[in-house]
Amino acid sequence: MNNHSLFQLESRREFLKRGAAASAVMTFSMTAPGILCQAVAQTPRNDRILVVVEMAGGNDGLNTIVPHRDPGYTKARPQLAIDGDSVLKINSEIGLHPSCRSFADLLEQGQFAVVQGVGYEQPNRSHFESMDIWHSCQRKGEVRQDGWLGRYLEQSGAAESNDPAALHLGFDKQPFALMSRDVRVPSIRSLSQFRLRGGESPRFREALDQLLESDGDRSGNDLLGFVQASTSNAITSSRRMESSGTMYQPSKPYPASGLGEKMATVAKLIAGGLQTRVYYVRIDGFDTHANQPDAHAALLREVSEAVGCLVSDVSAHGDGDRLMVMCFSEFGRRVAENASEGTDHGTAGPVLLAGAAVKAGLVGRHPSLTDLDQGDLKYHTDFRQVYAAVIEDWLEADSSPVLGGDYEALELFS
Amino acid sequence: MMKPVEQVDPNWAWEPFLATAETPWDMGAAAHLMRRAGFGATGEELRQLMARNPQDVVAELVAAQEPESFQREMASLVRASLASGGPQRLAAQWIYRMLNTPAPLLEKMTLFWHGHFATSAAKVEDSKLMQQQNELLREYALGDFSQLALEISRDPAMLLYLDSATNRKTHPNENYAREIMELFCLGEGNYTEQDIRELARCFTGWEIKREKFRINRYQQDTGEKTVLGRTGELSGEDGVATVVSQHQTARFITRKLVRFLVLDEPRAPDDLIEPLADKLREDGMRIAPTVQRILGSNLFFSMSVRGRKVRSPVEVAIGFLRTLNGSTDAFRLATTLQQLGQGLYFPPSVKGWDGGRTWINSSTLLGRSNLIRNLLGDDKTRFGKQGLEQHLTSQGARSMGEVVAYLETVLFAVPLPDTARQKIAQLADSPGAKENRLRDAVHLLCTIPEFQLA
Repeated sequence: MNNHSLFQLESRREFLKRGAAASAVMTFSMTAPGILCQAVAQTPRNDRILVVVEMAGGNDGLNTIVPHRDPGYTKARPQLAIDGDSVLKINSEIGLHPSCRSFADLLEQGQFAVVQGVGYEQPNRSHFESMDIWHSCQRKGEVRQDGWLGRYLEQSGAAESNDPAALHLGFDKQPFALMSRDVRVPSIRSLSQFRLRGGESPRFREALDQLLESDGDRSGNDLLGFVQASTSNAITSSRRMESSGTMYQPSKPYPASGLGEKMATVAKLIAGGLQTRVYYVRIDGFDTHANQPDAHAALLREVSEAVGCLVSDVSAHGDGDRLMVMCFSEFGRRVAENASEGTDHGTAGPVLLAGAAVKAGLVGRHPSLTDLDQGDLKYHTDFRQVYAAVIEDWLEADSSPVLGGDYEALELFS
Repeated sequence: MMKPVEQVDPNWAWEPFLATAETPWDMGAAAHLMRRAGFGATGEELRQLMARNPQDVVAELVAAQEPESFQREMASLVRASLASGGPQRLAAQWIYRMLNTPAPLLEKMTLFWHGHFATSAAKVEDSKLMQQQNELLREYALGDFSQLALEISRDPAMLLYLDSATNRKTHPNENYAREIMELFCLGEGNYTEQDIRELARCFTGWEIKREKFRINRYQQDTGEKTVLGRTGELSGEDGVATVVSQHQTARFITRKLVRFLVLDEPRAPDDLIEPLADKLREDGMRIAPTVQRILGSNLFFSMSVRGRKVRSPVEVAIGFLRTLNGSTDAFRLATTLQQLGQGLYFPPSVKGWDGGRTWINSSTLLGRSNLIRNLLGDDKTRFGKQGLEQHLTSQGARSMGEVVAYLETVLFAVPLPDTARQKIAQLADSPGAKENRLRDAVHLLCTIPEFQLA
């Protein structure tokens, strides 16, 4: 058996999964070139993955998780209210926006949860300010040097890994949440950034393989040894991406939307066995001050379909138990609609979670529509309690240094 | 022969370099100097340097200034980039400067200070102020550190970046006070929280109004303060001077210079840093003599520090091009550098670029390799205004074996593995146009681990 070509045909994970994984690894490591064994040995098998979806602009939570039986709702939203017949029911009182079909399907499978009424004290209604608060967990005037995910990555020793600790997918500015002093997070615009150019030429490819297998005298210089290990790992990653390009087939086609394409890339990277633990994607456009209904429906459809597709696809490839998706927005919108068939900046909103591990259903009550703060919903759950649960119970790390304080973790996972 | 840096005798280390049989002043040594003190040099340039005394070469590098004609050319490029907006244009302009400057050490040191006094356009969002800071860094890059620290403390881009554009008497902003001690001068553990609070009081009244620094007398706390043991009615200027005059500042800056110019790792022992730091103080905190001392030293040229640095993305790209006398689409390169983790005008945090191993991960390594491929394939890339083949021929490298040997000398800090020489020489026999085979060969050489070291 030629192990080299075997590696090109199968991702490491698929390879390990074929029955007697342990003995397969042994056989593999006895004959395979050193560089490939290393990639196998380095990957802990149960690494969990967090995908964060930022819904930028302020998602209208009230029309996402709809309290259709609440008289206050229809009263505040004569134009925009979604009627009870068309919502996708979560329970007798509350339903999902009708374009969230994929979320409803996930809910039916026990893979979707909604944390209601999430916000923070003295809410700020500026997009940038509130987004910065969600990203950094710090208020204006406090020193903001890093984001919550950056601090988590730093603390988890992610800098040691050969693969990027986290990846941001997109052309936009890197999210502040990922910033830290010590861990650099690459922004990936497309999968081609994970493919070595020139690899299409067989002579180039063959020569490169031979060059990497010849260890030369790299032992005397630690730095060179490190770069060699990283180079081997990079080439292996590139090959995995190529083979997942041919071997990996999505279990169903991803929606042809911006977020759909990003999620398809995330799925490929996961299938390729990348050790990256955090993926960050952003979808903009939720600032629906006017003509909200169609725009909002399209945005929710895009999020719901892309997340739904990712969860079911990653599950179909056997990694469902490693994946959790969290969707958040910097604030919700005012309870009362405005005169332009839109809504203005508000406060508390829902955080949406998807994945096999989440405790499905609603978490916390829907915020009251009568007990308002100057026309805005009152939050009852601090967003850092959601983060605390994600850090403690999903990523299995200590949350207080990351959040800059002790926040009681919600029970979000089963 | 190759003593680990921990065992090096500090006296020998900083004495002027004396060529020996083990460490000759040869093409390899000249290439090493030009990689560290600049962005590499062509074989022809290296041969000219070799004919001279290494101390003279170092002295000339340190003294080099941009000629007036080049300054004028750059000034008009800067104006054009500012007019067309966007910091990415500005980055392209800086790339052009690095590619073409006759004073490469000045540019290398400007880049050093950009990482040291890190300020990002992502937050400042004002290209004019970013460029103003860039010019300040260049003006003092090899000048007086005390003056540089004072000027940067009043630099609008810096103060905007660190949220210190207003400093009220009743709410002194501690951010700048903290960073000037922690990151710019002393390092963590060399001051107290009380020092930060007191230094912040010195900066009250300092503000940025209409993009300019000024002092607001009404907001100044004129009371007595005690900073790092000095007590008095200290002003902001006094505060900066107090921090800079600490002996620890000389140590901190010296250590960072040694890391930047000599080796990423292992960490140089304190007794190696101390004599250089003493000299820096004796020199009145002037940077140039210290840089000259480092670059002209036995340690700098010793084999034990060759290849002990990881090339930064800028060094990969500009080094590759300057070594092959190349030019390219600077705007496109600016974007690629950002993807590789070294966006010019966009350092990742106030701590700047950590360098060393942090440059390297699977995505940046593939990106570095692809960068070389893209440069080689780009219509706008020229080597000495010609194609790759003509350029290599002009340097005396005709056969594939000669090409590999030439590139090894000019481009590599450590020897190539034998297999690399053989395998790449074999590409000569493969079919296709010679230019394409050469590109494959160069791309392969720049993908193997040895290439990442400087």
